[in-house]
Order: sequence, then structure tokens, then C-alpha cells
Amino acid sequence: MAPDVTPPPEIICSGLAKTFDGRTEAVRPTDVTFHAGQTTALVGPSGCGKSTLLRMVAGLEAPSAGQLLIGGMPPAETLQNAALSIAFQDPSLLPWRTVRGNIALALSLARRPVDDAEIDQLISLVGLDGFAEARPAELSGGMRQRAAMARALVTRPGLLLLDEPFGAVDELTRHQLAQDLPRIWEARGTTTLLVTHSVTEAVLLSDRVIVLSPRPAEIIADIAIPLDRPRESGIERSPDFGDLTDAVYAALSRGMTLDRPPLAAQ
Amino acid sequence: MTGLSLVHAGRPARGMTARGYGAWLGVLGLLLVWEALAHVVSGAFVLAAPTEILAYLVEDRGLVTRALGVTLGNAALGYVFGNLAAIALAALALLWPRSERIVTGLALLVYCLPLVATGPILRVLFGPGAGPQITLAALAVYYTTLIPLLVGLRAAPAGWFDLVRSYGRGRWSELVHVRLMASLPYLFAGLQIAAPAAFLGAMVGEFTGAERGLGVLTVRAIRALDVDMTWGVATVATAVAILAYVGLGMIARRFLRDAPPVILAAPASDTVRDSGSGWKAAIGVTVIALAGWALAFWVFDLNPFFAKGPMDVLDALLLAEDAGATRGTLAVALSETAVYLLPGYFAGLAAGAGLAMLLVLVPVIAGTAMPLAIALRSVPIVTTAPLVVLLLGRGATGTIVLVAVMVFFPTFVACLHGLRQAPGQVLDVFDSFAAGPVSRLVRVRIPAMLPAFFAAARMAVPASVLAVTVVEWLATGAGIGSLMAMSASLSDFDMLWSSVVLVAAISALGYALVGSVERRILRVYAPEQLT
Repeated sequence: MAPDVTPPPEIICSGLAKTFDGRTEAVRPTDVTFHAGQTTALVGPSGCGKSTLLRMVAGLEAPSAGQLLIGGMPPAETLQNAALSIAFQDPSLLPWRTVRGNIALALSLARRPVDDAEIDQLISLVGLDGFAEARPAELSGGMRQRAAMARALVTRPGLLLLDEPFGAVDELTRHQLAQDLPRIWEARGTTTLLVTHSVTEAVLLSDRVIVLSPRPAEIIADIAIPLDRPRESGIERSPDFGDLTDAVYAALSRGMTLDRPPLAAQ
Repeated sequence: MTGLSLVHAGRPARGMTARGYGAWLGVLGLLLVWEALAHVVSGAFVLAAPTEILAYLVEDRGLVTRALGVTLGNAALGYVFGNLAAIALAALALLWPRSERIVTGLALLVYCLPLVATGPILRVLFGPGAGPQITLAALAVYYTTLIPLLVGLRAAPAGWFDLVRSYGRGRWSELVHVRLMASLPYLFAGLQIAAPAAFLGAMVGEFTGAERGLGVLTVRAIRALDVDMTWGVATVATAVAILAYVGLGMIARRFLRDAPPVILAAPASDTVRDSGSGWKAAIGVTVIALAGWALAFWVFDLNPFFAKGPMDVLDALLLAEDAGATRGTLAVALSETAVYLLPGYFAGLAAGAGLAMLLVLVPVIAGTAMPLAIALRSVPIVTTAPLVVLLLGRGATGTIVLVAVMVFFPTFVACLHGLRQAPGQVLDVFDSFAAGPVSRLVRVRIPAMLPAFFAAARMAVPASVLAVTVVEWLATGAGIGSLMAMSASLSDFDMLWSSVVLVAAISALGYALVGSVERRILRVYAPEQLT
């Protein structure tokens, strides 16, 4: 494969915070660095603000306070260079475009030439051989997620943002997707941020798990995942894996009972 | 697609051949009953039999064909201009979002102008020719295209826009890659509804003093009490309108993957959330409308005898010596109209919602009724006004029935659709408690129906005003429609302009009133529908 168009960036958040409508606190001032080429999982209860954190990194949401640098640049510049891709829980495929057309859309949005051979290779890589000309309505939920992932990967982004990418599919499909797809971005050494509320998925896919409190989000624990890659099927049953998930669960429980004064009182 | 009351009907199931034969048999049976009935009442001069209609059409085919050609030509031009105007207005609102409320408010106000009075005014402004008919056809279509188009341009899920923005692209890319394609089903739905509406507008334009066209033949037939001719012309008008609707539907299906949306109204806006902006928009619309009106007179230097500006109308209503008499005449006419309009409007709403509820209790029929009702909704009811007058007389009954029928079909379609939108899982919960069909209807389906019902009730306000003024103009000799007809023929342009202003204002106020009731109720039952 050709080298990545953009090198994997390091992301530095300093005092990054988000408040909606001047009232609802989503993210408390946060200092954290996401290392280049690593996969970092953000874990927390539903509605805790982890997606808001991800959307700020994606440049889709402006921070209320603090600073965010992606590879030393503000998010707006990263966006202009089309150096990041995002995949959501909802595959967000355009229904009037084929699988190929949806993948090609990312290239034209990123102002890159549309390379059919590259698209075909990626379609094959995500396991959609023979469905290049199918429209989203003709695909199963898992196949749509594969297509969305191919679209996210086709621009060879240095930074990949995943917001519950396997959240909307059934458990079996989810397991299969979590086995197949991460190999692609792991092989490329992409900086990856993964938002999930599945502890198993977080430990399985990442080099580091950051546990967030219920809303407003605050970092409760920062747990390194020193498991060897590639992680084979069945690793979930190893004692090391069990210890790591236990640590994440313990941090999540601590977060649930955390007694915090409102921000104004601090 | 939350936040929208524009919803889609499922594609009709394939393999409808048996049902198709049934429909043809039904039509045949109806024709036979009609024929028999016409012969029974043949002395009463109200009903022409299908064979008599056919005989008339064959005999006068030259005349009818020429008239049809003229009306079709005017309708087609109006259709093109009206829809282009709608697309231009939608583009303006999209490129400059802050203008949207003003654009839609002005569009509504112009849509509320009573066509029967706009016709004669345009007649004196344009002079002889087809200008008024074409303008009325355009006025009849642009609003029903503009509103779904505006909704369609916003109909895409937020994730699609996030996708575009995540590659650093802006509004232009959103428009090209997402909005244009996403709005196509809505545009086609508007264009489809617009086809019969343009035909109706052209005919109403011809009612009010054209030289040629089907509308002229209609007026001539009514004056001559020629039953066969009245029915013949109305049959041609209705058939052409339905064919235009069906034809555009077929074209739309070639282009689209999804069925077009069923309910063509913008969702109610939640003025509580951005308080005061509704009033600001209303004041802005009024100021701009008055300024535009005054400016038009100054720019075009119109003849002050028949062209009246805002100050002239103010003078006629408040300051002139005979202002009291003018106000009295208008008040009498409006109260007469209210007697026709309000019962018809509420009866139409009640019948539409009621029949939809009854049908839902019998699900087998509901599936068949939907396509039929959607097709019937397209019939320009006003073109059948002469028939209703023939059948039910020139008194209150005929007018009330016509208004009710005008309101009935869109309400019925919307309610039937809304009732079937009830969430399946909630219905399953009710099943698990062994709740009966009536309990399910009252507790689940009716709340699910409310957004669609109110969208229909809002859009029915201008439609029912159009219906009542047309019938009054053509036949009843009472009410504001008749007053406008009389003022036009007596060249009392002060009275004509005052009536137009009052009717448009009352119509727009009625629309706003229904909208405010809608907001109160939806805030409880469907807060996600408010934008």
C-alpha cells in the first residue's frame, strides 16, 4: 500500500471544556494527550460527554474553553487538509449512492482524485466483495458499517475518529467487525480515538483506555493496555484481559459514585 | 427524520392486479348507478348522465378541445413560472437562512390572496390577454412547491452534514452532495400537487373575465342552465387534472428511489424556544408587504382609478366619509361567509379525521383506501363547484358541502397516514395488556396522528377560503366572494381592494391561529415535531 497521505498526529488537549447554551456542562476542563499512532478508547456511561469530546477533536463542535492542537495545529486546519476521518454509530451512507459512490464521495470531499483500484482494494479489505454497485438499502446493518469504515479509511487519514462505530449492529456482527476492521488501521499506524460504552471492545481494540465520569465528563482513570498485537480471537478469555477489564469496570463504578460540587462553586 | 411532519408513504405493494380489477369494476358500477340516477331525476336539471356528458362532449368537441388547449397552455405557463418562483424563493431562504421566516411569511400572505378577486384586479392591470390566468395559475402552485422544498432541503440526517464538515467542506458541498438529492422527493411531491392546482388557478382566472378557455365555458354553461355542458366541462377539467397528477407521479417514480412524502406542510415552529421571533417575523412580513405594495404603484405608475395603494385602502376603511358604510357592507359579507366557511371547515376536519379513525379499526380497508384518497386529494375540488351548486342548490348547503369536501381529502390522507405512524412497539405493549382496538386508537394512534392532523388543518385554511369565495363568486350571491364579484362588475375598486386585503389578512390570521393551537398541543404530545 502507498504511504499515508498525512502522518499520524499527536493530539494535545489543555483545559479543553464544553458547555452548551452557557448552562449544560458536557465536558469539564480536561488536560490529556492522545499519542501519535496509538488507539485510545474513551469509555463512560451513556450521555457522559465522550462524544462531545470526540466532536471537538473532529472540529464539529467548538470548545467553550481551553486549547486543542492536532499535530501542532488547530482543528480547523486539520479539517482543511482532510487529514481526519470520522465514523459514527449511524453509518450515514447517502442512500442514492452505491457503496463505491459513497466511498468515492469521501475522496471528492477531500479533494483527492478518485482511484477506482484503490476503492476496489478497500472494498475487498472490509469484506464487501461483489457489493461495490449495491445501494445502502440492499445491505445488512453490518455491511453498511463496513462500507462506512471503507469510506473513512479511503482518504488514508492520519487521525481516525470512531464514535460507537459498531454500536448499531447485533452482538455477533459486532464481534466480527471488531475482529476484521481494526487490523486495517492498526497496520497503517493511524492515531485512533474510539468512543464506546463497551468495556470489552475498549480493551480489545486500544492501547490505552481513558475512563470518563458521568456528565459533565472528567477523566477518572487512564489505563494502559499492554496486550500484544495482533490480538487473536479468544484473547478476551485470557487472565490479563480479565484483569484489565476489571480495572476499567472498577474505575467506571468509582465514577458513578463520585461526589462533585457544581463547577460554579469551585 | 425527526423534527419533520413531512412523512413518506410506503410504496404500494406489487401484485395489485386483483385489486386493480376490483377498482375498475367499482368505477363501472358507479357509472351505472350514476346513469340510472340521472334518468330518475332528469326533470330537475341537476344531474347529467354519463351518456349525456359523452354526447355533449362529442357534439361540442371542437369548442371543448379549443378551450382545453387554451386553459392547458395558460396552466402550463403558470406552472412553470410558479414553480420557478418557488425554487428561487427556496434558494434565497437557503443561502440566507435569516430571511426564511420573512420569505415563508410573505409567501403565505400572497397565497392567502383570494384568487377570485385577484383575477379581476389583474385583468384591469394587465389589459386583455392571458396574463391574469397565467398569474393565477402561478399563484396557485408556488406555495405548495415552496414549503415541501424548504423542508426537503433540511430533511437530511445530521450525520450527513457532519460527514461533509469532517472533510473541511462547507455549505456549498452540503448543498451539492446532500441537500439537492435529499430534497428531490419533496420537490417532486410539490410539483405533483402543483399540476392540478395550476389547472385550477388558470380556470379560476378564466371565471373572472377571460375571452377563451374552459373556465369561460363553465361560466357560460352555468348562466345558461345547461346541465349537460356544465357536467361535460367539469368532467374534462377533473379528468385533465387527475391525468396531470398521475403523469407527474409516473415521471417522479422514474427518478426517485423513495415514494414522495404524503403531507406537504412545514412543521409548526416552537416559538417558546425562541420567544418573540414569531411576532417579529409577523411584523416584518406586514411591513415588507405594505412597502412592496406601495412601491409597486410608484414604480409601475398604475392608474389610480383601479389600482389602489395601502393608503387608499386605509382611507376607504377608516377615513373617508362613507368608511362606516364600507365597513358595514364588508362586515355583513364576512359574517355571511363565516356561516358557510366555519361549519364547512370544521365538518371537513371532523369527517376527514373521523373516517380515518374508523378505517384504522378495519386495517384491511385502510391499506386500500390510502392510494385512492391520495389520488382524490389531487382533484381540484373547486372545478367541481358548479356541479355541487347544481346538485345542492345555491343556498348554504351546497357551499358548506363544497368547503367541507375541500378540507376533507387532505385531512383524511394526513390523518390516515398519521394513524398508521403509531410506533409498533408501543402498540405491542398495548397488545400485551390485551387492550382493545378502541383503547389503542385513543391512547396510541390518535396522539401519533396529531402532527399530521394539524399540518393538514393549517394548510386547509387558505384552501377553504378559496373554495368558499369561488362558490360565492359563481353562484350563491352572498358573502365576501359575491361582494367581490359585484364590486368588480360595478368597478368599485375601493371595495374590491379592501375585500382582498381583509380576506388575505383573515386567512393568514386563521393559519396562524391554527398554528398556535397546534404548538400548544404538540408541545405535550409530540415535542420532537416542533422546530
